[in-house]
Amino acid sequence: MSFDATAQNLVTVYGVYASASVGLTVWLARTLSKNGEVFLDDVFVDNPRMAPAVNRLLVVGFYLLNLGYAFVTLKAGADALTPVQAMETLAAKLGALLLSLGVIHFGNLYLFHRIRRRAQIRLAPPPVRPQMHHPEPGNAQVYSGSQGAFG
Amino acid sequence: MDTALWLSNVEARADEKFARARYPRTLAILFDPSCALCRRCVHWMQHQASYVPLSFIPCTGEQARARYGDIPWLGDELVVVSDAGEVWVGPAGFLTCLWALEDYREWSFRLAGPAFAPLAERFFLALSHRRRALAFLFEPKCKDGTCSLGR
Repeated sequence: MSFDATAQNLVTVYGVYASASVGLTVWLARTLSKNGEVFLDDVFVDNPRMAPAVNRLLVVGFYLLNLGYAFVTLKAGADALTPVQAMETLAAKLGALLLSLGVIHFGNLYLFHRIRRRAQIRLAPPPVRPQMHHPEPGNAQVYSGSQGAFG
Repeated sequence: MDTALWLSNVEARADEKFARARYPRTLAILFDPSCALCRRCVHWMQHQASYVPLSFIPCTGEQARARYGDIPWLGDELVVVSDAGEVWVGPAGFLTCLWALEDYREWSFRLAGPAFAPLAERFFLALSHRRRALAFLFEPKCKDGTCSLGR
């Protein structure tokens, strides 16, 4: 295997890997921000300026994490001596990148879920039904079948 | 798009959402003033951040008897009354108190769920029925649970 062929394999791996990782990250970040904005708009009803700000910050963090990770794992070195090895290296790298993107993406979804839950809980009625209705003195009305402690 | 107009639209929607949400806007908590444990709990609640304004009314007082005298559980159990006249008694009142506090609302839903509800109910009933006996925890000299905490 000549030096030139190895270098050629490495350059191909790097080229495909770099373009795929940047493309995937950009595509995912845009998807996240586009759909997340609708979500956050619903969450931050009491403070509407928060929605675009939080969205932008999340996307910036997403870019930093993903591109940083993709560039750190770019180096293939001696793992791409033959075209077959180069293919395998490329697949392993792209697979690891996709898995990490998936983990971060689901982490983001969980974050959205938590934020939304906190917003929804703000408007939620008490978790137990009242045992009785008592709008004014002398007008008490005990609900039937309310002997159980939780209504 | 005009940002000020967009913001005022979002704010109007937020106001509407809050106005439409059906939850108690204030709570009156009728506690047993002759029990050291209950006074201690009231003191604790008064120092917690709450989602809705709370008023603490001694259940043996003139105000409680005039306004809520026809609630059959008054004096025996913890009674919580909303501005709309809903009445929660005993363990349900306990959960409604937790619901009102910012740091414990999640726990009120958790404790009202199928996994914890029986436990929460037994816990509260055990505390409530032994509330006079438990006064020694707060003041060792206290024999019958009716003495003052000296606060």
